[in-house]
Amino acid sequence: MLTRQRRRLYAKIAVLAGLCVGAAFAGLPVVWMLSTSFKTNGEVFQVPPRLITDNFSFDAYAKILGDAAQLRFFINSYIVALSVTVLTLFVAILAAYGFSRYNFPMKRSINAVIVTVQAVPPITLVIPYFGLVVGLGLYNTYPGLILTHMVFTLPYAIIMMTAYFNTLPRELDESVKVDGASSWTALWRILVPISVPGLVAVGVYTFMISWNEYLFALTLTRTDDMRTVPIGIQLLMGQHSYEWNQMMAMSILGSIPVLLLFLLFQRRFIGGLTSGAVKA
Amino acid sequence: METAKLDPAASPGAPPPAAESAAGRRRSTRPFPVQRVVPFGYLSPTLILIFVLMIIPIAMVVSYSFKDNVIVEQNPVFAGLANYTTVLTDPNFLAALKNTFIFITLSTAAHLGLGLAFATMLNSPLLGGVTKAIFRIVYILPWLFTVAVIAVIWRLMLDPSGVVNYILTTIGVLRAEVSWLSDPNMALWALTFINIWAGFPFFMISILAGLQGISPVLYEAASVDGATAFRQFRNVTLPQLKPVLLSMAVLDLIWTSQQFALIWMTTGGGPLNVTEMLSTYTYKQAFSSYEFATASAAAVIVLLLTMILAVFYVRLQKER
Amino acid sequence: MTGGSTRLQGRTRRLLGVMAVAVLSATAVGCGSNSGTSAGSSGSGPVTLEFAQWWAPELPAGSFDKLMSEFTAQNPNIKVKLLSGPYASTKQQLVSGAASRTLPDVVGLDGAWVSDFAKQGAIADLSELMTAAKYDSSQLASQIQVKGKTYMIPVVNFVYPLFVNNDLLSKAGVKKPPSTRTEFLDAAKKISALGGNVKGWALPLDTAVPNGIQNDVMSWLWASGGSMLTKDGKPDLTGQGVRSTVEYVKSLNDAGVVAPGSLTMKEQDKVEKFATGQVGMMIDSLAHITLIKKNNPKLDFSVVPIPAQDGYTGKRGIPYASWGIGVADSSEHKAEAFKLVQFLMNKQANAELSTLAKGFPGNKTAEPDFSTSDPLFKTAFDIYKEGYPANEFVGLPKAEDLMRSFDEQLQLLLTGKQSIDDTLNKAQQAWAPVL
Repeated sequence: MLTRQRRRLYAKIAVLAGLCVGAAFAGLPVVWMLSTSFKTNGEVFQVPPRLITDNFSFDAYAKILGDAAQLRFFINSYIVALSVTVLTLFVAILAAYGFSRYNFPMKRSINAVIVTVQAVPPITLVIPYFGLVVGLGLYNTYPGLILTHMVFTLPYAIIMMTAYFNTLPRELDESVKVDGASSWTALWRILVPISVPGLVAVGVYTFMISWNEYLFALTLTRTDDMRTVPIGIQLLMGQHSYEWNQMMAMSILGSIPVLLLFLLFQRRFIGGLTSGAVKA
Repeated sequence: METAKLDPAASPGAPPPAAESAAGRRRSTRPFPVQRVVPFGYLSPTLILIFVLMIIPIAMVVSYSFKDNVIVEQNPVFAGLANYTTVLTDPNFLAALKNTFIFITLSTAAHLGLGLAFATMLNSPLLGGVTKAIFRIVYILPWLFTVAVIAVIWRLMLDPSGVVNYILTTIGVLRAEVSWLSDPNMALWALTFINIWAGFPFFMISILAGLQGISPVLYEAASVDGATAFRQFRNVTLPQLKPVLLSMAVLDLIWTSQQFALIWMTTGGGPLNVTEMLSTYTYKQAFSSYEFATASAAAVIVLLLTMILAVFYVRLQKER
Repeated sequence: MTGGSTRLQGRTRRLLGVMAVAVLSATAVGCGSNSGTSAGSSGSGPVTLEFAQWWAPELPAGSFDKLMSEFTAQNPNIKVKLLSGPYASTKQQLVSGAASRTLPDVVGLDGAWVSDFAKQGAIADLSELMTAAKYDSSQLASQIQVKGKTYMIPVVNFVYPLFVNNDLLSKAGVKKPPSTRTEFLDAAKKISALGGNVKGWALPLDTAVPNGIQNDVMSWLWASGGSMLTKDGKPDLTGQGVRSTVEYVKSLNDAGVVAPGSLTMKEQDKVEKFATGQVGMMIDSLAHITLIKKNNPKLDFSVVPIPAQDGYTGKRGIPYASWGIGVADSSEHKAEAFKLVQFLMNKQANAELSTLAKGFPGNKTAEPDFSTSDPLFKTAFDIYKEGYPANEFVGLPKAEDLMRSFDEQLQLLLTGKQSIDDTLNKAQQAWAPVL
């Protein structure tokens, strides 16, 4: 019995040690990011490098938070990422319901097309895409950016939601339909409420993609009042010099909402993935 | 089929999607065909979006790839397969193909390996819930940052006189400083390492979810049989996770092959083209050489290659 | 079942038809709203010009907006909307904009882009606009022309002299800043011999933005009065001038005086290394003086002409980069757009902008006020007036691509993968079809 307890202790120590090594790998660059955000630009390249320097200050944060133009980037990011999340969820729920509950011609091909869309390298689409968005009158607008992000978030969202709906027994929606309700009612009254974990998982994933998207957010906007945080960060990289500390401060600030989102939903997020991704 | 008959698609009260309701009202006397339209009603927002914002631009890229001097000149001429020949015989393209292959396979293998290792540890019954929650947060940190910043912070840390070299030389792992990103023998590995760092959390979380989905009964049965932890892992965990691992691997290969900003902002394809990838190659063709036609041809080739992966993925899905 | 499927095919087709109509109408609505906004008044009513540039973020906050309101005060009918982007992506945005003819009315340009945009028909012929506006172009320091027509006017020029760290030089026992290539190599060796992380020189060769070829490599050639082109504009990379330059850069590299990491070093990294005293000398834009002083107030440095070949006594070319300006060909307000160009080029505004940007004015008569700024600017201005501005990449087609292909060959040489002959021949072959 004693040896068994001791073995458990050793195993526990081993796992903890392993986790700490992993945490160092994952976390140290972020620590350096934090440290850089508190330095002056001159200290960023100091040799030898130091974690905390003489001029430790929150100036970079004050500059970002005290600048209306910078705050606008955050507001834009919220507007875009939240809209993308809500709309992606809505459209994906519909599509996933179609895929999960119906058999129809070309189902397999349509599914293949949706999966394949993920395979398109975005960089190759920039030029025709730009022309198209300008042609649709969506250049430098929220809808333009939102619809674009949706094209990239939808495929995975549909795959996940379909897998999630597939895990729910068909008898559930049948039971309402027997009472004369439509498939639409069955979907929104029965399936959606019990799919919350799956929706949270897809929602967090979608939000993160949209929040951090860079290429199209840059190409499809041109005025500062439409730009998002990743572009705001890049605006701090000038032709001749970088605002290292502000760049880092802004990215730390930008990561906080995403972190909070994860903290709030982590249980459901992982739970949702458990039922969805496992079968995706 | 029973489902179909029971579904009165055009029921009043609940607003069904537009296509469904229009078709439904017209044909309410014949329920069977209506049924066939309903799924398309549910799919129509997706289909319209993907058609307008994906299929059309892809079609435009494909058409550019058969022309000469697109974009730059007002009246491009048809060039047949000339652009494809140019691209496929360009040694830089072939090098980019090779680098991309190394980059995506290594990244994917490491994402899955690390993801599996971290997820197994995070799922260990030996640790308390709070400990696990804290580690979980630390582990997802890399996922929270936009590529531009990831590129900048790693450039800063991997600078020859940056913090990585400082630590490694101080503790004696390295005797001399290494130019991680500008040494032709090092750059591809360093870049892959950065990409591994940036991408593993999502896979870790997905695998963690997969682990939590494995029924404890299976483990109990195995431990009754006296299986060691390692054998439990090999005989229960891995087989149960196989579907997740496979589909994550294919998705990761696809996603990693699209990585552009990270490469562009760290090495720009250099030194000596050792980190030139299909994405940076295409970008340079388009925005630096103004050869939009060859860039499009390269894009189509990349698309075809990634489509093979996508088809493989659909196959995987179908198997289950 | 067969009957069902044919019926279904008909239905599918109809459904697709409905979708197509929806798509088309969406497109039509989109286009309608778009033309509604862009078809502004081209007559006498108030006009809003869009001005895309990367300058505003680089100037003291708000100062460029102030300059624009001065313009509006002088031209009450013209408003200016500034579209500011990061320098690194300005070009890509302009290319995309030009492709769909949505370029802003007035655009900030880099000399290296002009030829390509002109060929694409994206930017307007300024010669024509100057004639129409009866503009006297004699006050302009330079005009960037393609096939005899002006497409860009440099508004502010940034010259690239040699920066030297006085402390490191004296510590290394070098009495005066180097003036010839031999003196420079000698000084670089002595500085590198100080040990630690300190090296004599920085050579940024990153291929994502291959400006290092222009600023840090070809500058050696121009400083000795050389040229990388023949008289009729063909590449002359195998000629004596380029050969001796490349040989010299290689000798610096072989001597181990170049800071490590040069193959993916960016211009910004070079400056940081100089500012922190890790590099003793660099060729760099004067625009950086303020930045260096801000990042390291204690650094004692000066600017000198770029060293020339031993025994060279002629005038020295000084590389420069400009903030250039052009007008979009698709603009509906070209006359008003040119008014803005005129304003930025007038004696007073040009001097004001140059002072703010710490650059040299594009208007010959403008006198930037360096009295409040660093005395180094005065020194640099003297160097500038003694020599001549030299940048042969300005106005060349695919200039960035030319720099990149040269860069790739140079990297092969510096890593010992090929000989000088191969380097020059291959670069020559890469350039020949373009020029």
